Amino acid sequence: MARTTVKGTGWIGRLFFFDLLAGLRLTLRYMFSKTVTHRYPDHEKWVPYERHRGHHFIKTNDEGDVNCVACELCSQICPCDCITVIPYENEKGDRRPKVFDINLARCLYCGLCEDACPADAIKLGQEYEVACDDRPKLVVHLEDLVAAPRKAADGGQVRPAKLEPGSGRRSVATAAAGAEGYDWWRHIRKGK
Amino acid sequence: MEYVLTLLPMLVKMAIVVGVLLLLPLPLTWMERKIAAHIQQRPGPMRVGWHGLLQPLADAVKLLTKEDHIPAEADRRLFAMAPVVALVPPFLVFTAIPFGDPVQVFGTEVSLMLSDMNVGLLFILAVSGIGVFGTILAGWASNSKYAVLGSLRSIAQMISYEIPMGFSVIGVVMLASSMNLSQIVAAQEGLWNVVVQPVGFFVFFVAGLAEAQRIPFDLPEAEGDLGAGYHTEYSGIRFSLFMLAEYLVVVMLAALNVLLFFGGWKGSPFFLPDTVWFLLKIGFFVWVFMWFRFTFPRYRYDQLMAIGWKVLLPLSLLNILVSGILML
Repeated sequence: MARTTVKGTGWIGRLFFFDLLAGLRLTLRYMFSKTVTHRYPDHEKWVPYERHRGHHFIKTNDEGDVNCVACELCSQICPCDCITVIPYENEKGDRRPKVFDINLARCLYCGLCEDACPADAIKLGQEYEVACDDRPKLVVHLEDLVAAPRKAADGGQVRPAKLEPGSGRRSVATAAAGAEGYDWWRHIRKGK
Repeated sequence: MEYVLTLLPMLVKMAIVVGVLLLLPLPLTWMERKIAAHIQQRPGPMRVGWHGLLQPLADAVKLLTKEDHIPAEADRRLFAMAPVVALVPPFLVFTAIPFGDPVQVFGTEVSLMLSDMNVGLLFILAVSGIGVFGTILAGWASNSKYAVLGSLRSIAQMISYEIPMGFSVIGVVMLASSMNLSQIVAAQEGLWNVVVQPVGFFVFFVAGLAEAQRIPFDLPEAEGDLGAGYHTEYSGIRFSLFMLAEYLVVVMLAALNVLLFFGGWKGSPFFLPDTVWFLLKIGFFVWVFMWFRFTFPRYRYDQLMAIGWKVLLPLSLLNILVSGILML
């Protein structure tokens, strides 16, 4: 934050309220500077950095099959016990998950499942709009995880977006295609 | 017929003044919220209307439809009376405030004020002093400790600051040799009083902030220590009457600052109509009050008293003395 210090003005400074004037000057500067508030979700939306740990997704291979081998390591390491995996053997004879449920209400987004995964299947993406009005809806299933958005390449900026009412429990704001985002930090005043 | 000719302009002027004053808090609340927001680098209300312009209307509807609650142990009659008592003096003050030189409308001369009193300034100071009764009644009738504390503080504050405020305008009255506001303005043609009476202006401005109970002197409604002060127990329409009174006092003080120290409507540039120039100046002072509000913290109670009695009162007396000696 910018600071206002009035030094070495002595009794003249006290008599003419230099300290109060410095405060007024600071707020006047702020009054005519750019605002920093995101106009979310009406006009723009913050896309987090790639390192962000948001909504999970499960990768698929070239044949459209899920990478997951249902080893259950993720559900074992999960500190809040929110992953349920039930394996089965598919028609090719591979071990695959029959059920892969994540309870987002319990998940603390620590990313340990991602670290434990031997098959590069489960990842944490940048999606963060998971609010909904019903707790059972927070349990996401395998098909949801496969369909969930992947890592966004344009992380770390504010993108133009629009609120679409009734667009489901996720993606309250959808970024308009092709529009340029901007670095949010450009308006932040750096203190001296 | 003659009665009609004299009464009609009066009634029209009254209707205009009352109408404008009743509607004034709507733009002022919007302005205040926007200024607060921009000082804090926020955009402020943005969603109702263009840049939130219709937000005050939405707020008004909300206030009017809220429950009108009266606390169980409250003095019901006083409780109902207090907001009206608080609202009357600010309205009354505007009867004596001139908005420009007399103008010719359909061949008759119409003065741009409700009443051209030759003791206008005295009337304004006296009537605005009554304003404290609304606060006292509200605090007492609510039967709540926060409300009583708030009104006690406000009584002490009003009495302490009315004295330097009254003294600080004496220099202006001496310069104009009149208490008539139109003549005070006329005396400033050429040179604004603020140049001749800088100390007087300073005392009047600070005492005015305290009279309007604005930050940094808003102890009667200090949110941090008193809930909301004297109107803690009020809700809905009664609360909005208090808000209305508060905004009108701010406008009144801005108008007085302009009239007494900044030349009123005189010397408007670019062929601006006098009244518009005057209103612009008032708007500037209202903006300054809001700017102060979101810059300074609140003074402590003992500091408030010390400023009033130990700084402003001697300063205003000294101001009278010095201007008297210089004028001799």
